[in-house]
Amino acid sequence: MAIVNQLVEFVDRRLGVREIFDKELRGYLLPRKVNAWYTLGAVLLTLFGLQILTGVLLLMYYVPHADQAFASVQRITNEVPYGWLFRMLHAVGANVIVIALLLHMLSVLFMASYKGRREFTWLTGFILFNLAMGLCLTGYLLPWSQLSFWATTVATEAPGAIPVVGDLAVEFLRGGATVGNQTLGRFFALHVVGMPLILLGLIGIHLFCVKRRGISPPPFGADYRAVELPDHFTYEKHPHGIPFFPNYVVKDGAVICFFLALLLGIVFFAPGLFFPESAFEPADPFVTPPGIKPEWYFLWAYQTLKIFPSELIGLGVQGAFMTLLALLPFLDRGPERRPAKRPIFVTVFCLSLLIFLAISIWGHYS
Amino acid sequence: MEPQATPPAQRRAFLLMFAGGLGGLLAMAAGWPLLRFLAPVAGAGEDQQVTLPRSTVKAGAAHFFQFRGKPAVVLQPKPGEYLALSAVCTHLGCVVQWQEGKGEFLCPCHGGRFAPNGAVLAGPPPRPLENLPVAIVGDQLRIG
Amino acid sequence: MTGRILILVVAAGLLAVAPARSEVPAETVCIQCHGGQPGQLGAPVKDWPGSVHQRNGISCHDCHGGDPTDFANAMSPERGFIGAPAYEQVPEFCGRCHVGVLADYQESAHGRKVAAGGAQCVICHGSHAVQEASLDLINERDCSRCHEYGRAAEIKTALTETDARFATVSSQFERLKRLGVNTESLNGKLFDLRNRFHRVFHSVEVEKVRAETGGVQAELAEIQVQVDQFDRQFAQRRLWGGAAVGLLLLLGVVLVQVRHTYAEEERGE
Repeated sequence: MAIVNQLVEFVDRRLGVREIFDKELRGYLLPRKVNAWYTLGAVLLTLFGLQILTGVLLLMYYVPHADQAFASVQRITNEVPYGWLFRMLHAVGANVIVIALLLHMLSVLFMASYKGRREFTWLTGFILFNLAMGLCLTGYLLPWSQLSFWATTVATEAPGAIPVVGDLAVEFLRGGATVGNQTLGRFFALHVVGMPLILLGLIGIHLFCVKRRGISPPPFGADYRAVELPDHFTYEKHPHGIPFFPNYVVKDGAVICFFLALLLGIVFFAPGLFFPESAFEPADPFVTPPGIKPEWYFLWAYQTLKIFPSELIGLGVQGAFMTLLALLPFLDRGPERRPAKRPIFVTVFCLSLLIFLAISIWGHYS
Repeated sequence: MEPQATPPAQRRAFLLMFAGGLGGLLAMAAGWPLLRFLAPVAGAGEDQQVTLPRSTVKAGAAHFFQFRGKPAVVLQPKPGEYLALSAVCTHLGCVVQWQEGKGEFLCPCHGGRFAPNGAVLAGPPPRPLENLPVAIVGDQLRIG
Repeated sequence: MTGRILILVVAAGLLAVAPARSEVPAETVCIQCHGGQPGQLGAPVKDWPGSVHQRNGISCHDCHGGDPTDFANAMSPERGFIGAPAYEQVPEFCGRCHVGVLADYQESAHGRKVAAGGAQCVICHGSHAVQEASLDLINERDCSRCHEYGRAAEIKTALTETDARFATVSSQFERLKRLGVNTESLNGKLFDLRNRFHRVFHSVEVEKVRAETGGVQAELAEIQVQVDQFDRQFAQRRLWGGAAVGLLLLLGVVLVQVRHTYAEEERGE
């Protein structure tokens, strides 16, 4: 290990890295009672990193043209050594990211971590969530299978219900009146470069907001006290807290391992979970396969559109819900964070979760 | 409550060593597919070519052979002119037959007919037969 | 509901602007006229829908010629109309497309006797309500109309077992396809093999069928070997995958234990 020390010494003399390490990692103190939900941020960072790695590998063989896309994916899956592995990691990884995102958002909602002047953290997080959904939507089209083509057709049809600009919005999304090669082109550009760049930037801002303001402690336990905030910026200190490195890093590491185990478990033992039959047929613009529906994380939106008599009302309801969610820290102003003392919020939270699950399941079976 | 025999620091050192070993194994398990994925495949890009002596294909005749695992045909419709095509009918996948008298391909399944250059002459096939590159190299024919 | 209607509208819209597969309207003039006619003239219109020909876009004029879009000239010889074939002309009529089968048939006992009333295509397959050929077409009631059933029974036995293997291999291809395997060339091989196999029946010669059956079964066995290779590959992947999952879980547990050592120290402070 002497060589490692020499290397560190070399860099430290030039950039003072030890000081940064001591201050930002060893000296970064977290509240003592942080629970496992706090690790989801690190889990998401790891999973996004994996998506970028597997995505770059897939890019080496994927062809973004309607005539060749499906065949190129087949080549990756059948001919390129371990192509099947990276393709599956990428596709299943996307779904695991959505699961982790939902869990992360749910825990933030339940623990009211958006309170205490953390509106920017919440807003950037909300946008990140929508970006992730956008990445999922654009990525879905790229294999150019029957499932890709028709799920995208259904999904991009929805904005058509908006009055006046609806049709224009649909054409803007698709690059034309119907889903075709021009759609593939723009979805590819957005998926590979456009959205990832914005995503990386926003993750940076999100993490900056988290670190700058300080971690909020979990609002549980007899000795929890709501903090009265002064009129100026403060950093939420935890002077007797646990150091991020190494004490908390190992906890992040453990949960990351469990999530990776879940990911690999699905890839190897339930590979058909996110791949219905129509995922293996090349896209045919003239034949709609039966039972086309969006992926599970969009089922709530899909079913909501179907429930209401007019699609516009359906869109409006979704829009209203998302707007309320985005503006939550501005609407829920009270300093109280303990769930036991926020009965209305907890009721709405539980009801919304149940409705979300119920509507998704309904969407799956309808 | 029994006091812990080993102090946490000591346990931690052992556990971290074990974790390091596991991590190393996992890194290898991850690195191997990555390496193989990125490594150039032997002969990739050119794929396998098939070489046949020119004498196999008489003028006006066709010779059937396997090309990259699929049936293919090389023919000499006019003396000195060689063509190579996939012999898989574009209708439903049957193997076409060469009709020497008529100078055209006939598919025995549903009567599809193809010209020597692969173009569809009659019947249900939707597309011409796929053309394969063929080069004359001395007294050999190289297809692919 | 609205969403479903929307999908139908989009699909209908696409169909409206997309070029038609053939330039023939949905209902040909043939069907429009013969549909209303009694007896033998109207029967084909009832028989043809649902047939294998209809499902593959083959309509009246594809076999009988003529113009399916023009009432006045629908049955004009100038537009290629050839009418219904006489009994002994049926094999050549069908054989314009089913070339391989015609070749085998013409050499067969049936083919050589067709002028004297020997069995031709329509006798077994029907003329308009044609379905994919199945082994049920070979049965005691139909085959013993002209001669005893024995030889036909032997041929059917030889074919039945092989057909069952075709079905098994086909369903294995479906399973592999769901796992991402590109089964296009395998399917093509199987289709070609099955056609060669079904075709040979028309020679109605027991020895010929048995010889062909042997060859086909050997090729099926080769295809089966390829399928088994895929299955072995998948089993191996699961093994390595299981090991990786196990290692990750173990590493996670070890890290949790490390965390506990830190927690102990934190409590001690």
